[in-house]
Amino acid sequence: MNESTNDENESQLAAGVSQQWVRTPPIDIFETDDGLMLRADLPGVTSENLELQVQDNRLTLFGRVTAELPEGATLLHQEYHQGDFLRSFILSDDVDHDRISAKLTNGVLEVSLPKIPRAQPRKISIQTD
Amino acid sequence: MPIFRWGSALDAFRDLEREVDRWMKSVDITFENPRLGRPFPSLNLYEIGDTYLITAELSSCVASDLDLSVANGVVTMRGTRDASGDIPEDRYRRSERPSGKWERSISVPERIDDDNIRAELTNGLLRLYLPKVPSAAPKQIHVGGDNASTSTRINQEEQS
Repeated sequence: MNESTNDENESQLAAGVSQQWVRTPPIDIFETDDGLMLRADLPGVTSENLELQVQDNRLTLFGRVTAELPEGATLLHQEYHQGDFLRSFILSDDVDHDRISAKLTNGVLEVSLPKIPRAQPRKISIQTD
Repeated sequence: MPIFRWGSALDAFRDLEREVDRWMKSVDITFENPRLGRPFPSLNLYEIGDTYLITAELSSCVASDLDLSVANGVVTMRGTRDASGDIPEDRYRRSERPSGKWERSISVPERIDDDNIRAELTNGLLRLYLPKVPSAAPKQIHVGGDNASTSTRINQEEQS
């Protein structure tokens, strides 16, 4: 699984939110028994505001942050920019696209990327005349 | 950057300032990279009228993991982040999310009303509201001394 950058797909998604910062969320990828698991930190993103799509073999995640600040808030100290999260990856061919599943809990996205089960060797019976 | 110009020689400083600004901005972009170590969690501090608001990005954190305290104008937050669970290290292909014990302190510029602090944790985003202590009306201090005591004595004589 590779990361892809500067992609058309990404810029299309980000076009609607040009006024805000777009950030790259930190991720973990690890192997599980039946494939790969991806975890991303998306603080402030709810499941309604998360878009996850697979096109060709590219997985794109786009999380919109909607936490608005109360009126008249002045920034005194800043360590992060409030903004949306965007990142995309190239999936390897052995990922089963139809069985990709995802869940979002407490601002952590968990995407499971199972592998296509390897075909079992099939015995071919030989007929005799 | 123009090399020669008519007019004030000090204009060159403005160009230098602009160049340094541009350079500093590029440094900032470098530090936005998730693979570089940054303090965890990232905090923003806002002032809303008579309240301070601290927001912190704490994904995967639940309220029971979080320990918040305020003392002498310093807000301290503490917690443990177990990002990995029980997955062995050799299974990782990529690991960018910070994990382990963390602690952060932030000093707040004014006195805080300790009893009315409010904290919310939703979707991995912490909001900590710290109301300022309402500034009391100016208090007149009476200056005592010889003159004062004589004047009271005179008043007493007048009354009697």
